[in-house]
Amino acid sequence: MMRYCVYGKNNQSIKLDPRTKLLLCLCISVTLIAGSSAGVLRYLNYIPALVPFLFMISLKKYKNALIYLAVYVVCEFGTSALVPYLPDAVNILFTGVIAFSTRLIPGAMMGWFLFSTTTVSEFVTAMDRMHVTKKITVPISVMFRFLPTIREEYTAVQKAMRLREIGSFRNPVKMLEYRMVPFLMSVVSIGNDLAASALTRGLDSPCKRTNMCRIGFTWRDVVVVVLLIIFYSCYIPIAVFRR
Amino acid sequence: MTLLKLENVSFSYADSDEGAGLRNISTTIPQGQVVLLCGESGCGKTTLTRLINGLIPHFFEGSLTGKVTVCGKDVASSQLYELSPLIGSVFQNPKSQFYTVDTDSEIVFGCENIGMPKEQIQKNLDETINNLNLYRLLNRSLFELSGGEKQKIACASVSALHPKIFVMDEPSSNLDYKGIRELMNVIAGWKRDGCTVIIAEHRLEWLKTLADRVIYMSDGQIGSDMSMGEFKGKTEEELHVMGLRTEPHLSPVSKSWENNEDKFFFRNITFSYKKSRDRKALDIDMIKLPVGSVVGIVGENGAGKSTFAGCLCGLEKHMGGNILYKGNNLMSKDRIKLCYMVMQNVNYQLFTESVVDELMLSMEKSKFDETEKRVKAEEILKKLDLLGYKDRHPMSLSGGQKQRVSIACALASDKEILVYDEPTSGLDYHHMIDFAALIKDMQQIGKTQLIITHDPEIIGQCCDNLMFFENGKVLWHKATDADAVAMMQNFFAL
Repeated sequence: MMRYCVYGKNNQSIKLDPRTKLLLCLCISVTLIAGSSAGVLRYLNYIPALVPFLFMISLKKYKNALIYLAVYVVCEFGTSALVPYLPDAVNILFTGVIAFSTRLIPGAMMGWFLFSTTTVSEFVTAMDRMHVTKKITVPISVMFRFLPTIREEYTAVQKAMRLREIGSFRNPVKMLEYRMVPFLMSVVSIGNDLAASALTRGLDSPCKRTNMCRIGFTWRDVVVVVLLIIFYSCYIPIAVFRR
Repeated sequence: MTLLKLENVSFSYADSDEGAGLRNISTTIPQGQVVLLCGESGCGKTTLTRLINGLIPHFFEGSLTGKVTVCGKDVASSQLYELSPLIGSVFQNPKSQFYTVDTDSEIVFGCENIGMPKEQIQKNLDETINNLNLYRLLNRSLFELSGGEKQKIACASVSALHPKIFVMDEPSSNLDYKGIRELMNVIAGWKRDGCTVIIAEHRLEWLKTLADRVIYMSDGQIGSDMSMGEFKGKTEEELHVMGLRTEPHLSPVSKSWENNEDKFFFRNITFSYKKSRDRKALDIDMIKLPVGSVVGIVGENGAGKSTFAGCLCGLEKHMGGNILYKGNNLMSKDRIKLCYMVMQNVNYQLFTESVVDELMLSMEKSKFDETEKRVKAEEILKKLDLLGYKDRHPMSLSGGQKQRVSIACALASDKEILVYDEPTSGLDYHHMIDFAALIKDMQQIGKTQLIITHDPEIIGQCCDNLMFFENGKVLWHKATDADAVAMMQNFFAL
C-alpha cells in the first residue's frame, strides 16, 4: 500500500514557522500603533511597513503588493501635502484618520499574510506547542475557514439583491439591513452545522490532540528573529533617548 | 450482534424550528446492515439520525425519554467525543461540514482530535485514501472542490476514524449523478467491511441495490419496517401515497412549437471567469428556444449551467454574444429587468419582515400608487396560495413556501423569464408535485421558464424542452421528443 505523506506541500517561497509569523504580526502592529513617529523614528517606521510588501512579493502577489504600496505612499505622503489646501472641517474629520491608517494597514496586511499562508493544522499545532488553551485556539482556527465562507455568502446575497433590483443607494440604512439580514442568517446556520459536524468528530475531546502536521524553526526563522533584534536595538534606544 | 438499540424513545425539540419530534421509537439494528430511513419531509428521519450520533441530547436541546444504546454505550450519558470513534456522521450540506481548509488535514481531523497515536493515524489515512480512491483529491483546497468531491472528503474524514456505524443525513441532496455514483461506491465499501450504515434519504433510487432494510417514518413514528425485497414489491401508487419518490417517468411531450412565432435566441455566447481567462466557462454557438416553454437544463456539476443562468439574468456583465427575446436584443441591464432567478438557497432572496412587504419592495420602482400596489400584491399572493401568510415573517415559512414567496416577487416586478436553480433538491414527492403544478401555472400566464436540475422527476413532470451542457458547451437542445428522452434516461442511469 502506498504511504501518503500528510502536509508535504511547500508552495510558498518563504516558509516560516507560524509562531514566527505571529511574532512578526505582533511586532509590526505594536511598533506602528503604540510607537511614536517623531524625528528619525518616522523613517525607521518605514521598515516594518515594508515587511508585508516583501512577503507579498515573495508570494508572487504583485498586484496586491503594488496596491498596498500605493495606498501606503498616498496615505503617508499625500495627506501631509494636501493638508494646507483643505478646509479645516475636512482635515479634522478625514485627514487624521487617513494618516493614522498608515499605522494600521501594515499590521492588517501582515495578518492577511498569516491567514493566507498558514493552514489550520499548522496554526493549531503551533498554538499547542505554546500551550495555549483550546478556548483560544478553536475560535481563531475557525476564522481561517470562515473568512472565505463569509466572502462566498456575501457575494451570494449581493447577487440576490441584484436579481431583485434592490441594490440602489437611495436608502442606505435599508440597504444595509437587506444585506445583513440574509447574510447573518446564512452565516449563523453554517456555523451551527459546522459545530455539529466538528463535535461528532471529537472536537470537544479533553485528551491531548495529536498533530500530524510537522512544524519547526529553520534557519529562515532565525534570520527573521535576528533581524527583529537588530531593528529593536536601534529603535528602542532612539525612542527612549528622544524623551 | 446488535449494534444499535432504541428503546421506547420519544423526543421533542425545545426550539420547534429545528426539526420534527419523535414518538415511541423502538428498534434494533444489527452489525453490517445498511438501513434506509425514508418518509415525507417533517417525518422525523433527521431527528432519528441525531439521536443515534448523539447530537441529541448533546447538541440539540429538548425533552428526551427512553434509551438509545450504541455498541453497548448509553448515548445520553456518554460524551460526544466518546461516541465519535464509534459513529461517523455525514451531513446534508457539503459546504458546512468541513473544519479545516485543505483536504489532507480534513481527513485526519477526527483522528487528531481524539488523540490517536501518529502511526495509527498514518495507517488509517493510507487505508482510507486507498479504499475511497482519493489520490486525485489530496493536497487541495476544500473551497475549490465540487459538492460531490466535498461530500467524498466528508466521508473520508469519518471513515479514517474506523467507526462501526455510519449515519448519513440526506447525503445526496446536493449531488449530481456522478457524485451519487461515487457515494454509492463509498457506501458499498463500508458495507463490505461489515459496517452498519444508516441513511436518511428522500432520493431512493440509488439505494435500491445497497440497502438491506427500509424503515418508513411517518409523523414521528415508525410507519413500517421492511426488507428491501418487500419495499421493492410496493407499487408506484402505494409509494406516492406514502409521499416517497419513485423511478422517474420520462416521456415525450407531444406539444408542437412550430407555430410559435416568438423565439428566444442565444448567439455566440462566450464567457470566462476572471481567474481563468484562458478557459471558456461558456461557449455557445446558437440556441433557439420557444418563448413560453419550460426548459430543463441538464448536465454535470461544473458544466456551465449556473454560469449560463448568471449570464442570462444579467449578473455577469462581461458576456460576449447576443441574446434576443421576442425580437429585441437584450443588454445585461435589460436582462436583469426581464429575468429572475430563484436561487437554490432561497434564504438569500428574502429581505423584509413580512411576505407582503417583500412584494411591495419588488414593486418599489413601478408607477402605481400605494393602494394599487397593495391590490396587485394581494392578487399575486392569492394566485400562489400565500394570502393566508401575508403578514408572516418570510424566514418563518417552510422551504416550499419561501420558494413561492420568491416567485411571487418575480411576478410583482413583472419578470417574464424565470430561472430556477435546482428547485426540487430536498423535496419529497408531494412537494415536488406541488412545485410542478406551480411551474405549469406560470406557463399558463405566459412566462418562459428554465430549470437547472439534477432531478429527472421534475423533468418528467413539466419540461417540454431540454438543454444538455458539457464543458461549457451546449451539446444538444431540443423539444422533449423520443430521442431526447432516450438521451436523458441514459444520462440519469445509475
